[in-house]
Amino acid sequence: MVKVSVTGGKGGTGKSLVAVNLAVELSALGSRTVLADLDVECPNDHLLLGVELEKKREVRIFKPEFDYSKCTKCGACQRSCEESAIFLVEGYPFLLPNLCSGCRTCLISCEASAISDGGKVVGHTYETEARDDLTLVTGKLIEGEEKAYPVVVGAKDRALSLTSDVLVVDTSPGSGNHVAFSIEGSDVAVVVTEPTPMGVHDLEITLDLLEVLDVQPIVVLNRSNIGNFRPDEKLKERGLRIFSEIPYSKRVLDSYVSGTPIVEFDKNDKFSVEISKIAEVIFNWK
Amino acid sequence: MEIVIASGKGGTGKTTLTSSLIYLLWDEKKLISVDADAEAPNLHLLLGINLTSVEEVFSSKIAEIDYRKCKRCNICVENCVFRAMAEGPVVKEHLCEGCGACKASCPFDAITLKEVPSGEILISEEGKYSPFISARTYPGRPNTGKIVFEEKRIARELLRKGMGDNILVDSAAGIGCQVIASLSGSDRAILVTEPTKASLEDLKRIHSVVEHFGIPSYLVINKSGMTSFDGIEKFSKENGLEKIGEIPYSTEVLKAISIGVPVVKSFPESEASREISRIAEIISDWLD
Repeated sequence: MVKVSVTGGKGGTGKSLVAVNLAVELSALGSRTVLADLDVECPNDHLLLGVELEKKREVRIFKPEFDYSKCTKCGACQRSCEESAIFLVEGYPFLLPNLCSGCRTCLISCEASAISDGGKVVGHTYETEARDDLTLVTGKLIEGEEKAYPVVVGAKDRALSLTSDVLVVDTSPGSGNHVAFSIEGSDVAVVVTEPTPMGVHDLEITLDLLEVLDVQPIVVLNRSNIGNFRPDEKLKERGLRIFSEIPYSKRVLDSYVSGTPIVEFDKNDKFSVEISKIAEVIFNWK
Repeated sequence: MEIVIASGKGGTGKTTLTSSLIYLLWDEKKLISVDADAEAPNLHLLLGINLTSVEEVFSSKIAEIDYRKCKRCNICVENCVFRAMAEGPVVKEHLCEGCGACKASCPFDAITLKEVPSGEILISEEGKYSPFISARTYPGRPNTGKIVFEEKRIARELLRKGMGDNILVDSAAGIGCQVIASLSGSDRAILVTEPTKASLEDLKRIHSVVEHFGIPSYLVINKSGMTSFDGIEKFSKENGLEKIGEIPYSTEVLKAISIGVPVVKSFPESEASREISRIAEIISDWLD
């Protein structure tokens, strides 16, 4: 099994566009491919593939429920909670649900067995047959919920359980531990950036994260013709170079709007050609 | 008055709009600006602010195993819902939330939580565009929302001290903890979109979040004319989301971004800049 992550730090550089097209191209080459949309705050890969999400499943986290008839008012649950989500009234614990991360530390700390799992649904995962040999797994956080991490875990687990040949992971923007979890275990990470000061700034943050995770980057400069602020020098300092340059084209936009990946929409567009190049590297990955 | 710029989808133009608003309104309206995208902070780049002095190092906790006490039972591994404990056991520091479930579950008291730096808050207190508050989470660290919360606390303190009259917050993409921390206690939200299906899908989600928190929100359509998609317009009409501006898709904006300068400064006569100035006038009327 080959695992590839598509990431980039900054939002809107074209992560999803690259991930979706790469997954479609790999499946067309004959690899049984799973695409995991782990941008659980704003998942959009299904729109780019022109499919409706199917096979909804709940993502539940632990939520403490206190049995006051068993509670000995020892306060261990409150002391153990690093999120300060538990407060005591006359010795009895009460929960501030918005602060609770579902970590179970209170449950483990309670010696009176006065805490049980009330459960809380924070998001959903979906499994959609998007093409022959391409399954899309999507994670979606419920609006108003803060904790994206458990939904990312749920969606990645579901994707891994279905993967045989290739897993393509589309991460959210950013560089926190939910992005680290998305990328972790990948053989290679496609880092999508753009030739702007912001693109380069966030590229460096992403490369720092990949170093920590010990994942090899492949740098893609998207919309390479929209600016002159290039990352070449910064990459050179790290012994890296741009692997692929994709110019902005009207055809890509047309394909985006029509909900048809560019590799299916126009095989000869530069975007499609560059995606084939990356797909070949992944396809032949040892 | 505290205003948040949000969008759901990344790359729709939050920072482009925010930087222009700061350029136009900073002096007259005494703005305190907050870059609340702590995992990918960019606002300082567009305003040419050199963020050097670290105001505050933010810390979080990480599990640490005392291998002299550890009996390799791996009970901690089973108990980590964040999958931050590998068989061994070994702490994966880039995933650890510092919740302490491993510590509580260890029968041999072999695990402690240690404080580690997880991010920093940077402030420019003097000179152009000050006070300006930015933050950066270190790669792989948790709870970015807490740093954003702290940034806003600092901004409000500066406001109380009379260092400014209004707060403008440039939020991260998404709808999670960073965005919720950005919105928390704010007076109004401006939702920046582009005419694509993906942006509409994400607008629905961020709109539902701001409604959930009871924050009045207003719509800006950016990159107008880039496509003929009219779903955003329809959504705004059907949901009573007032549109306060429609910025045309133009090469001037792209050029301004690529040189890292607000478009209203580099191309003040462009159609995009004129529209942003109109939006700034509307917002100016809301401000104290």
